[in-house]
Amino acid sequence: MADTAVLQPGLQQPGWQVDRFIVSTALLGLVLLGGLIWLETAPFMVALFVIGTLLGMALYHGAFGFTAGWRNLVVKKRGAGMRAQLLLFGLTSLIMVPMLHSGQAGLVGAVAPVGTSLVVGSFLFGIGMQLGGGCGSGTLFTVGAGNIRMVVTLVFFIAGAVLGSIHLPWWLDQPGFDPVPLVNTFGVSGAILMQLVGLGLIAWWVNRIERKAHGNVERGELLWKSQSHGMLRTLLSGRWPFTWAILILAVGNALTLAIGGAPWSITFAFNVWGAKALEVVGVNMAQFEFWTWEYPAMALKDSVLTNIPSVMNFGLLLGAMLAAGLANRFNEASRNRPEGRQFLAAVVGGLLLGYGARLGFGCNIGALFSGIASASLHAWVWFASAFVGSLIGIRLRPWFRLPN
Amino acid sequence: MDRAYSRTRIVIMLSIILALIMADHLRSPTFAFNSGQGNVETALSQRDETACAPCGAPCPSTRD
Repeated sequence: MADTAVLQPGLQQPGWQVDRFIVSTALLGLVLLGGLIWLETAPFMVALFVIGTLLGMALYHGAFGFTAGWRNLVVKKRGAGMRAQLLLFGLTSLIMVPMLHSGQAGLVGAVAPVGTSLVVGSFLFGIGMQLGGGCGSGTLFTVGAGNIRMVVTLVFFIAGAVLGSIHLPWWLDQPGFDPVPLVNTFGVSGAILMQLVGLGLIAWWVNRIERKAHGNVERGELLWKSQSHGMLRTLLSGRWPFTWAILILAVGNALTLAIGGAPWSITFAFNVWGAKALEVVGVNMAQFEFWTWEYPAMALKDSVLTNIPSVMNFGLLLGAMLAAGLANRFNEASRNRPEGRQFLAAVVGGLLLGYGARLGFGCNIGALFSGIASASLHAWVWFASAFVGSLIGIRLRPWFRLPN
Repeated sequence: MDRAYSRTRIVIMLSIILALIMADHLRSPTFAFNSGQGNVETALSQRDETACAPCGAPCPSTRD
């Protein structure tokens, strides 16, 4: 029988069921871990944990997947998902670039060097996105929602990230140059304007592809109201219109910057988790240059509860689990068991995601989303290079028996 | 509709994750600091503003 229950009076609407077990377990996990963070670290870490939870809910309920958005544009010639991402980047750029240059001490943008490491890393990441079935945020929120294939992707994502951390110093020695913050050249307004023009040009290109293929442009990214349910039910059980997810993701990243001092990032935590696991089995990570750098060395030595990306990732996982329970869809994606080649795609994709994220200075969130929100040139190079990699990944998917 | 998962597996998985987090925390400098040990450097407010990337990588121009 179904493990579901009709909501209590007050929340009850026809046909709406929640998975009580998953919702209760996710809430218990949030209370336990939130309490532990409160007791052992500082209130601002609890705030970041809550933000991570809300971001996880927004990603799940908004079905905000970077990977599927790119694939829909290439395969189905539909651009709503891609335009939603462009809107998100534009809005966040408007909020966060002035924040970063307001003169407030302690705020650091997501800027990174531009060079061989970035181009190769983001290209590999793009292939991995399509084979692994998600980017950094996509992998995490689908794991939180109980997707078994994505658990495999996450495990190899972590393995790839650790391998990438060992190789990164070598890649950094290949041709490249220091970070290029657009604000240094164009000023705050100029940098924002340049980025908006860039995003607008991409949106024009996306529209052109869609109109050429279908004769029209679906404006799904502009919907602000659910087509099928009321406001409260949509808020709790999804699916959210893109605009809601865009607002929550933009505000969430800005709050992460304001509270944590740096924009939202995900994949550094995977490095830390993998390196800690290797240390447990006796590997001395300090023999690798990456783990002697100040920030990684400190993160490795101290508790994961003091590491902002880790704490936000924990929140994101539990937030996605809560959202999947409220939607009564926990583990739905695993109903059809993946076959051999699909698991192989998760392994290969996960490794490419992890290795690529480390070389490329982050994933769709840390490098692309937060990079554009920081007006850094590296984010644009990352975008182009990952998109090219993604085109190859899409071509490889049929061999792995993955639907396009 | 049938359930698509095993409750026991979910509880076991989450318990393992919580146990790993606790085990990591109990041997950390932050826990030592909270337990009253002085002279311990924790990563709680760590910022490396001189790094060239969010992962703490140095700038290419500073490398030999």
